[in-house]
Amino acid sequence: MVIFENRYNEETLTIIENFIPKIKQCLHNTDFQEREDLEQEIKLKIIEKLATVEFQDAPSFWDFFS
Amino acid sequence: MEKQKIEEFFYRNNEQVNNPIIKSFLSDSNNLYLVQKAILYPTDHNKKLVDESFQSHYINVRKIKYVSNLIYFFSLDFDKKRRRLQNRALLILDKGLSEEAGTTAKELIEDASVGTKLDHIVDGGLLDNIEDEQLLKSLQKLTIKQLQILEMIYVKELSIKEIAHTLQTTPQNISNLHRKALNKLKTTLNKKGE
Repeated sequence: MVIFENRYNEETLTIIENFIPKIKQCLHNTDFQEREDLEQEIKLKIIEKLATVEFQDAPSFWDFFS
Repeated sequence: MEKQKIEEFFYRNNEQVNNPIIKSFLSDSNNLYLVQKAILYPTDHNKKLVDESFQSHYINVRKIKYVSNLIYFFSLDFDKKRRRLQNRALLILDKGLSEEAGTTAKELIEDASVGTKLDHIVDGGLLDNIEDEQLLKSLQKLTIKQLQILEMIYVKELSIKEIAHTLQTTPQNISNLHRKALNKLKTTLNKKGE
């Protein structure tokens, strides 16, 4: 749980909020009885993945203009 | 002079500037300012500032792309899993209950309609059990249908719904007839009491 309490917390929240329309749209992929469950599962998954997956190896800006 | 230098730079690197990631990066005025500064004064410090800003932008874009894909594929997987579980726990009525025995689930379902025949309802039940003569007389003044309903409610303890099913009418109707029967009983009993 410590992972979720660090500085990523706010950023994760913004990302989830920005993605709410997309989540709602994807809820139509399942039965209407399962939608609430799915919504929660998706949000959990996003939090989990953003906290664990490493997004690195970004190229340098000047690499593009060699 | 300064403007010319910047324009020349962008013109020379037209292809790269049209790269979506660079384009979105430059669409932020802060980033554009940093880049222009780095072009005019290409010091290590200025270049580093651009790089830092660009890398955070790049990582952000990757994150958004990742989350977008995650949501889509997770929802598909979720539904696949749900359907698999649902198919596994299907209710199949004519499947054998145990491996070798011949009984099936549907043979164990009770038929509620058996045993609630109308034949012996009035003569068999309610009136035979009344000892109070006044009450008996009052009951005999009710119609057959009202007696049937009273018997089914109080002697056989059926629900209103079941009675409606046996008499082939609506539960509301049964409820009405029941209330009327009770009212009639009450008034006749009160009259005799006076």
